[in-house]
Amino acid sequence: MFNIGFLTLVRREVFRFLALYKQTLVPSVISSGLYIMVFGQSLGSRIGPIKDVSYISYIIPGLAMMSVINNAYQNSSSSMIQSKFLRFIDDILVTPLSGLELSTSYILGGAVRGSLNGILVLLIGMMLTDLNVNSWPMTFLYIITVSWTFAALGVIIGITAENWDQISVFTNFIFMPLTFLGGVFYSIDMLPEFWRGISQVNPLYWMINGMRYATLGIYDTSPLLSLLISSAFAITFTFVASIMFSRGYKIKV
Amino acid sequence: MEYAITTDNLSKNYGTFQALKGIDLRIPKGSFYGLLGPNGAGKTTTIGILTGLVNITSGSASILGYDVVKQYKKSRSLVGVSPQELNFDPFFPLDELLMLQAGYYGIKRKDARDRAMELLKQFGLESKINVKMRQLSGGMKRRVQIAKALVHDPPIIILDEPTAGVDIELRHMMWDYLTKINKEGKTILLTTHYIEEAEKLCDTVAIIDQGEIVIEGNPPDLIRKMGKNMICVRVNEWDTKKTLDNWDYTVVNNQLHIQTKTPDMDMPVLLNQLSKLQVQVLEVVVKKSSLEEVFIKLTGKSINV
Repeated sequence: MFNIGFLTLVRREVFRFLALYKQTLVPSVISSGLYIMVFGQSLGSRIGPIKDVSYISYIIPGLAMMSVINNAYQNSSSSMIQSKFLRFIDDILVTPLSGLELSTSYILGGAVRGSLNGILVLLIGMMLTDLNVNSWPMTFLYIITVSWTFAALGVIIGITAENWDQISVFTNFIFMPLTFLGGVFYSIDMLPEFWRGISQVNPLYWMINGMRYATLGIYDTSPLLSLLISSAFAITFTFVASIMFSRGYKIKV
Repeated sequence: MEYAITTDNLSKNYGTFQALKGIDLRIPKGSFYGLLGPNGAGKTTTIGILTGLVNITSGSASILGYDVVKQYKKSRSLVGVSPQELNFDPFFPLDELLMLQAGYYGIKRKDARDRAMELLKQFGLESKINVKMRQLSGGMKRRVQIAKALVHDPPIIILDEPTAGVDIELRHMMWDYLTKINKEGKTILLTTHYIEEAEKLCDTVAIIDQGEIVIEGNPPDLIRKMGKNMICVRVNEWDTKKTLDNWDYTVVNNQLHIQTKTPDMDMPVLLNQLSKLQVQVLEVVVKKSSLEEVFIKLTGKSINV
């Protein structure tokens, strides 16, 4: 599995986004900085603390998660669709790499980008606010699991998609609402009973909840269950992506 | 005999369209093998199956005895392929592009670098090491494409239309290079639209049409068997009462068209006979049949359509 071929493809995926850092790393630093300043510093001062944590600190884990999700997904989905459109995926499919090796290489590329972005947002948060991370190991664990999950989903959508529009449909119509409704800017406990129930079926709610526990030490629901749910998604998506590669779904004829 | 590539009853359907109808190929190790056929005949599909880009409908294929499906890791490591359509990774310069490609095949980075440099030099691209594919001319892109097929030094090289859109000078350079590596022991499978290329390079050609192999053999044999050769003699005046014994010929405007399978050997005999008939010969032209005529005869199509 961890052979030279696999590591070369991982290297390609990581170098690709590092070369495009203006598109792949800088934007989330800017947007998170703006969120923290606008929502946190100005509006947040009028909102009281949630679970004894200042509002500005409360939103940072959610912002980090938003950044992790978007970047992990964007990386693998756009890399996939680009290699399909320009047909250089053929250069990779003719090599001895297996479906699992191919899918995990693309996933790792996205997961590294997602994780780096998440960490950058936390660092910005620490610079702009008095945020102190509760547990870095737990934080890394959540960031890696969630970025892996969405990078794997990005591979699946990238293989399936026939144009760029279909990629952004997921970002704009699914991830964006689910992230906002998953409690980036508020605690689910603040919602009426009915909406609280609905929120619990949103997987992103669990992921944000887990991340908040790791960084701030507070939670709405079980952090362990959050980790299990994220891991289950990560494993399932990786499995599906590997099968798609092995069978050549939409990439072989 | 040891075979580099074999296929057994290999079939491929795209929906209801049968692209390959049970192809049996035996490509000996060390040979320079040409696959000729009109567009849509099944050449690229065959190559796709051998390299893992196309799924098999039925039958089987193997590379040096390794099944391309069940033992794909081994079979793919033994083949380098240059696809017909130019494709490239837009993010990396040429040296990195070749090093990555070698890396995918498990070659260590240092060795990959040496090999990449060697090939870039071989193909006259040393000055373009830091350039990205997008900035290269069509001919240069094609050279990089072929270098990618060779970068992991595979024993079998598959080239799908390697000289399409390439100028004459470069084509000759590529022919020389391919002949050289074939002599050094590489097996080469080539598809081409230039019959001249197949005639010049290949020791064996197969003509494929509508998903079936129509004929296989070495080019001179095929021409001898299938083609028609002719000696054309322009004479001062042809008296219709005169006859040429034992020759199959026609006369049009004092020009004799004599059919023969061995024109070079028959020429002296024929000229001798004409002189006995006291015919003044003005011009003699030998028209030899080419592989192209064999191709047209068998497929009913020109290869360039």
